[in-house]
Amino acid sequence: MRKSYLKDILASGNFGLFAAGLVLFAVISIFSSSFLTPFNMYTIGRTLSLYAFIGLSQAIVLVVGDMNLSVGAIGGLATITAGYLIDIRHYPDWLAVIAALAVGILCGAIIGVITTKMGINAFIVTLATSFIFTGINFGFTQGFSFVNIPSSFTLLGAGRVIGIPFLFIFLLLCLIIIFLFFRFTVAGRRILAVGENPEAAKFSGINTDKIKILSHILSGFIAALAAILYISRMGTASPVTGQDWLIVSFAVAIIGGTALSGGTITAFGLLLGAIIMVMIKNGLILLQVDVYWEQAFLGLLILMAVSIDRIRTVYNQRRLLS
Amino acid sequence: MLKINNISKAFPGVKALDDVSVEFEKDEIHALLGENGAGKSTLMKIIGGVYKPDEGKMFINDNELVLSSYIDALSKDISMVNQELQVLSSSSVAENIMLDKMITFGRTGILNWNKINKIAEKYLDMVGLDIPPTKPIGELSVAQKQMVEISKALASNSKILLLDEPTSSISESEVEKLFRILKGLKETGIIILFVTHKLEEVFKICDKVTVLRDGKKIGTKSITEVNKQDLVKMMIGREEKIESYVNKSVDRGNVVLEVKNMHKKHKSENASFKLYKAEVLGFYGLVGAGRTELARLVIGEDKKQSGDVFLNGKKINVKSISDSLYKYRIGYVTENRKEEGLLLNSTLLTNIGITIWPKIASKILRFINGAKERKHAQNMVKKLDIRTTGINQLVQKLSGGNQQKVSIAKWLGADCDIIIFDEPTIGVDVGAKEYIHNLIYNLARIDQKSIILISSDMPEIIKLTNRIYVFRDKKIIGEIKEVSKDSDSYDIVSKELGNYYA
Repeated sequence: MRKSYLKDILASGNFGLFAAGLVLFAVISIFSSSFLTPFNMYTIGRTLSLYAFIGLSQAIVLVVGDMNLSVGAIGGLATITAGYLIDIRHYPDWLAVIAALAVGILCGAIIGVITTKMGINAFIVTLATSFIFTGINFGFTQGFSFVNIPSSFTLLGAGRVIGIPFLFIFLLLCLIIIFLFFRFTVAGRRILAVGENPEAAKFSGINTDKIKILSHILSGFIAALAAILYISRMGTASPVTGQDWLIVSFAVAIIGGTALSGGTITAFGLLLGAIIMVMIKNGLILLQVDVYWEQAFLGLLILMAVSIDRIRTVYNQRRLLS
Repeated sequence: MLKINNISKAFPGVKALDDVSVEFEKDEIHALLGENGAGKSTLMKIIGGVYKPDEGKMFINDNELVLSSYIDALSKDISMVNQELQVLSSSSVAENIMLDKMITFGRTGILNWNKINKIAEKYLDMVGLDIPPTKPIGELSVAQKQMVEISKALASNSKILLLDEPTSSISESEVEKLFRILKGLKETGIIILFVTHKLEEVFKICDKVTVLRDGKKIGTKSITEVNKQDLVKMMIGREEKIESYVNKSVDRGNVVLEVKNMHKKHKSENASFKLYKAEVLGFYGLVGAGRTELARLVIGEDKKQSGDVFLNGKKINVKSISDSLYKYRIGYVTENRKEEGLLLNSTLLTNIGITIWPKIASKILRFINGAKERKHAQNMVKKLDIRTTGINQLVQKLSGGNQQKVSIAKWLGADCDIIIFDEPTIGVDVGAKEYIHNLIYNLARIDQKSIILISSDMPEIIKLTNRIYVFRDKKIIGEIKEVSKDSDSYDIVSKELGNYYA
């Protein structure tokens, strides 16, 4: 059994990812003396946790063969929901969290229902909803942040135990849940089946619309979760939260081995994707590359990841045909 | 003259053509006749440049003909009219005909529509199609589109015209018209190859007929020296005796499924039928005759416009395949194994288990019991004798026959009382075919399942069924109430089936 797991890791491309991460780690450590400091590791640990959640919210719709350009906009909406309820209405933390998550679920449900029931491409639907959600966000806040966030709320985002951020521990827990979800639950297995071949899934008695809507709801839920973690980490609820999530979400998901054609997702891959992503961002700063160039690097990175994904697909097809 | 010498072609697992040689003369319509999978379409696609032969050569008037592609064939005056018509549906008729030879004003690159339309009209006249060349092709009927395809071939100055089952999706009167035009074209010195599996058509318009069976050429005959019976024998083969299963008594008082006036435009016209407990019921007809369409209306994959379905006497409303499986226990083994039947990139475990997940999951959080799932998959592999390295093997690595068994295993495991098999033996080898036949028979006899067998394979349907509905033009046009299982049953029933098509 152990042997086959190892083989799985090698075959899935996670091994290459792991190696790439190690090389990156070594290179940055050599060229920057401040990289390996405990404080920088702590910072990286927190950021990569947030990235992993953002990537996960994208991966969970990619796996079913859709995409979600609204992850950031949903995150923004969830952020101000929580911020408003805490700062202005003085709701208890837990109620604000539930409200923010509900907003995420609602947004996902709207997207899911429109894409499946009206048969409109998820690309277009989520492009439109990203503007709608962002517009509601800005219209409501007029661009102002909610800054009176109690310290109880920031405990998860700022705390650490023996140098390991709480956020990272929380992430690991969530990734374990994701792993179990896709491996052992009816819903998870059905999402994978629909992602691989919606027709065959349908002809196996799966209600594919329901599964796609579920994926979008999970995506919205996780985006809202990431938003709460953002507030917790930053100590403020800013309406611009989520503006830079789109590229991060795709980069982490794709680098992490989530097939664009649907059907594959690995929790471990997502973690590696987030680690590589954060090391590149952190490394660029430490190596004093002008921050204005950053997007170009991230774009290139996505392109590379997609190319590798494509090469893997073509390679597998050829191997099968021969 | 077109001559093909010793052509062979193999696909993974199947020898599609085995050392076939035929000569096609000018001024004749030459039929390629055979059952599904006999190799006739493959041969046509080789002559049309779509496939390259593994062995053998082709000659036109003693010059060797080597084709690198479909386009290459076109440039060598060979045109193919496919079963699925390839038209640009939003463009005009003229554009479709003249696509590869557009006329411009000098070298300006500006299209001279006047001239294009005029030339197109000329070719439309030749096939007797009276429509304006500017009409969008999407507005035409299937038969008209086919005529446009033929005029396109004429515009390309084709000397060889390949027609792949041109009558499969057009009406009787349109067939007559097509035949008149083909006869006219023959006089102009064009070689016409006509792929079909309908005997009547062969006698109506063909001059010669070549019969293929299992990729081998059985013979080429002039139409005047054979009759229907001869051709049937050639197609099916004398040596392959149709061994019917012993007739079993079916309790005709026990109707498990009754469908009344199922209707949907272009899919099914007021179809009504009954299925008795533990019988094998045949839906016979050609592709597009309405058999699959009716089945898909029954399982809720397609939405009916009117009609009622009764399960064990109770009216039911099946909204989806999920309903059909989990609420009413009606299974459907699709004809498109690769597209609809299987998750090719997944394991046998997933493909077999997918229908039982809800049943073996925990109440809370719906965790699938992995041990049960594996056990179930292993049982199915054993029960259906699926040749595999193990339940963790990817389904795409199995042979066609074993893939089909996986597809069937999925529904068996789901404990369906009614199973619809749609062309269950298409693309599987002889051994697996025999196995699947036994399986279906035993499902009805031993497991008391009620089965609908959709098939265009006459021997198969006669061998397995107790009763047959005959389909044509989206309608049930007849019923054979009792399929006899005597030694001469094949001759009797095939004649009866044939009568419906005469």
